[in-house]
Amino acid sequence: MINNSSQVQNKIASRSGPEITGRFRYRLKPLMYLLPSALLLFVFIVIPIGYTFYLSFFNWNLIAPTKEFVGLQNYISVFTDPTNQKVMLNTVIYIILLLILNFIFPYLISLIVNFFIGKMKGAYKVLFFIPSLFSLVVGAMLFSWILNPVSGPAALMLRNFGMKLPQWTNSGSMAIIVICLITNWKVFGYNFILLLTGLGAVPRNILDAAALDGVPKWRVIWNIVLPMNRGVAIYVLILTIVQGLQYVFTPLNVITQGGPYYGSSNILYHTYLNAFVLYKTGSASALATVTFMIFLVLLFVEIKFVEGRNRDVE
Amino acid sequence: MLSERRHIGWHVLLLLICLCVIVPVLFMISNSFKTLQESYHSILQLIPSHPTLSNYRTLDKQINILRMVGNTFLMATLVTLGKVLTGLLAAYGFLNFHFKGKRVVYFLFVATIFVPFTTVMIPNYLVISKMNLLNNVLGVALPQMCDATGIMLFLKAMERVPKSLTESAKVDGIPDRRIFCNIIVPLLKPNIISVGAIFFINSWNEYVWPTLILKDKSSFTLPLALQNYISSEGGTNFPLAMALAVIMIVPPLLIYIVFQRYILSSISNSGLK
Amino acid sequence: MNFKHVVKRFVGLISIMSVALLFAGCSKSAAHKVTHITYWHVNAQTLGGASVDKLVKKFNDTHKTIKVTAKYNPNMYQGLMQNLQSAQASGKVPDIVQIGWAFTNYFSDNFKYMTPTDAAQKFDKNKDTITKNFSNQALSFAKNAKGKLVGLPYSLSTPILYTNDSMLAKYGIKKSDLSTWEGVSKAAKTIKQKSGKYGVYIQEPADTWAQQAMMLSNGAQIKDASGKAAFASSQGEQAYQLYQDMVVKDKTAIHTPWNQGMDDFVNGKVAMAFTTVAQASHIKQSVSFKASAQTAPTFKAHKLTVPVGGSMLSITAQKTDQQKAAWTFEKFMYQNDSLLTWDKGTGYLPPTKTALDSSQFKTYLAANPMIKPAVDELPNAVPWTSFPKNGLQAEQDMIDARDKILSGSSVSSTLKSTQEKINDQQ
Repeated sequence: MINNSSQVQNKIASRSGPEITGRFRYRLKPLMYLLPSALLLFVFIVIPIGYTFYLSFFNWNLIAPTKEFVGLQNYISVFTDPTNQKVMLNTVIYIILLLILNFIFPYLISLIVNFFIGKMKGAYKVLFFIPSLFSLVVGAMLFSWILNPVSGPAALMLRNFGMKLPQWTNSGSMAIIVICLITNWKVFGYNFILLLTGLGAVPRNILDAAALDGVPKWRVIWNIVLPMNRGVAIYVLILTIVQGLQYVFTPLNVITQGGPYYGSSNILYHTYLNAFVLYKTGSASALATVTFMIFLVLLFVEIKFVEGRNRDVE
Repeated sequence: MLSERRHIGWHVLLLLICLCVIVPVLFMISNSFKTLQESYHSILQLIPSHPTLSNYRTLDKQINILRMVGNTFLMATLVTLGKVLTGLLAAYGFLNFHFKGKRVVYFLFVATIFVPFTTVMIPNYLVISKMNLLNNVLGVALPQMCDATGIMLFLKAMERVPKSLTESAKVDGIPDRRIFCNIIVPLLKPNIISVGAIFFINSWNEYVWPTLILKDKSSFTLPLALQNYISSEGGTNFPLAMALAVIMIVPPLLIYIVFQRYILSSISNSGLK
Repeated sequence: MNFKHVVKRFVGLISIMSVALLFAGCSKSAAHKVTHITYWHVNAQTLGGASVDKLVKKFNDTHKTIKVTAKYNPNMYQGLMQNLQSAQASGKVPDIVQIGWAFTNYFSDNFKYMTPTDAAQKFDKNKDTITKNFSNQALSFAKNAKGKLVGLPYSLSTPILYTNDSMLAKYGIKKSDLSTWEGVSKAAKTIKQKSGKYGVYIQEPADTWAQQAMMLSNGAQIKDASGKAAFASSQGEQAYQLYQDMVVKDKTAIHTPWNQGMDDFVNGKVAMAFTTVAQASHIKQSVSFKASAQTAPTFKAHKLTVPVGGSMLSITAQKTDQQKAAWTFEKFMYQNDSLLTWDKGTGYLPPTKTALDSSQFKTYLAANPMIKPAVDELPNAVPWTSFPKNGLQAEQDMIDARDKILSGSSVSSTLKSTQEKINDQQ
């Protein structure tokens, strides 16, 4: 067992060739490993974001021969236009719902499956994951059909019990809930598996030791397991918000198109509406840039939080 | 150990969730075997009274299903290979090497996850068009060949590899690329398979980007074919669309069944001893 | 697993595939001079996609120097415009496209195209194709706000009233009562009272075509002669008020997205549906009751006026060779038997006089009686209003107004504020 890492470093350094070429080779190596990804990401993501940022200062539709420079006007309207404000509020509602449905709920279920039951774990894993295989277009079509408030199977069954399914497409908040549920149907299994694998990595001996000491299960989970699983959990948390907002786009597009009166729209869909329905590329670019900035803040918080904590745990 | 009776309560809850999850799938399969008229007439009936293969036969006549499965498979494989390979390489780069500004670079890489697709769609289209890759499976695959979520996941998995393994290898003078190929990658096999499977499945179901790029019916992928059966103007033939949806899910399902062991196995069993 | 080996394999695989694909692309263009053109359409399988393929194949078989490739664009005319925008930005536009009426002005303002008049003049040296085949009315559909002919009408549809005859008979409603909106409202109330089911569904796609039909049939104008929005008149408000009362007050009309609403009608939960003739074949195949159709209702003492739906064919090719080939293809598509194949597959109405009067079409009508009311309405069809400036935003504003009104906002103030908003952008 090698204990002194500086000894190791010295040995490794002494193994590389003469000073000059060694250092050169040492600096080139990380580049080679990172190059393919860096190139692809730069060309296909970084440059477009730069281009989008540039376009946000114009009124344009991408094809007219002249662009009209409008300075910060698009950004001002991002924050002052009432529709934009409504849409941003909706985005917050979406995030909260997605967190509850796609993070907290799978986490609870994964805790139950891992710690509170003995049999059938494999069966649940398989069954929960099946919707993740589906295309969300299929999911949206299917649920739009199933949840048709007048003639769908859900409505018909409820009628047998004397209940009525509300016209959820006519209410922004109900539409948001249904759309989140549809997304949840697809995403639940995958998040569940991710969290479950994280839980499975918690060393058995710690749990056994706690059990021997008579610590109740909930305590063990709260004080030991959750903190140890932090890395995976935070990853799933971030993914839930980011990918969740991108996932809900499909049911939005297929079922409500953001209606009624932007009631179910969120900032991502509204960006799409501005870009590809109204061809207001400038407004769309400003919205996209603002969205991206907000996400970057989230990311910064995550890295600080996780990095810091990971070091503590180690 | 808790008593069996307490377990039953949990099982009831879990089975309820299973029901919510599986019943829509049953409706999908059931409708695919109904005629248009029957699907409207007997909505609650999960088992059709006159099951028919007519939807599948119509699909077989109207589109070359096998060819589309092939196209979709090719595209999904290209994308998955790209994402996995670039992800592994980049993760190892971050793991193993330390250079100035590494944290900033990592932050930038991960930031790309947060870029919504609508933002990059048109510029990517322009690039692919200039490269003359329109209507080409490569044109569809290329912009998607790197995914920072893969880099993140692989890096986290690599960080779990005991440093003792890699350090002793380095001391023995084994070059980095051998460490990468012979030690790191084999140890990451379960992660590669599980992450790769998810990439494959997502790429399999992708339709927004392929719609822009692919023109020819002969190069269509399955999700594009599905779009061909969704039309509010002419009315959507729900059973027909569901039949296509059933066909669409078969390959991912097969992949899932075959690799299920890896996808679902916990890290503690992955042989990191 | 050797690192170099893996990288080599990967790179080799990619290179082989790209070379193979490049060659596949090369082999497509034959040795002889064949002009390749692309035709963009919106026809899903349920909207005549098979007819498009059939026509394209027939053309390719009979015209050895031209090869047409058809591309399906999902999401109807809006989806096609999205793809067209990307194509234009990259400089690789298709050669002939279907442009939905709502996009006439946006298209003519922003895209490069060749008008049919120019094409006829340049390639035929006469304008016979246009003047001999199309009535003035038909041509008026395809003119932009400046009066320029942008394309030739290809898909024509009008809104009609589909009825569940079993339900009507059961609740004692005569079809003749349904010739006015007031009558429809009354009948819907009867149905609601006697059965608890909804009386009518008025289509709610991502456009306000049906609502325009209602306002026009009460004598309102959508835009006035100077191109400004004018629908917030007393007639426009009256029409929308009747609609709102049915939805909000009487709860006899159901307010729901298009797919769900049509499913409700076909399932027998709604007695009447006001929607496009293009749905006729889907309805015919799906219902388990006797369904029929009749001409759109109008308002008492007002003449029936309906906006035409569908699209026109426009030539976006930039080079003379492609333009000529596209025009040849276009002329082929307007031949009587081509139009018949097209209309049979889609449920659209023939845009040319000869096709409309032909015996084959008459036979087809006899076999598909639900299409007949749409034909009867054609003389009453007017262009679908598309505003000259910021037309797309204007349409979105009208959709927003519909959403607001159907959730209960005051008809008068909503229409007035929408009209003001649109005019501010003109």
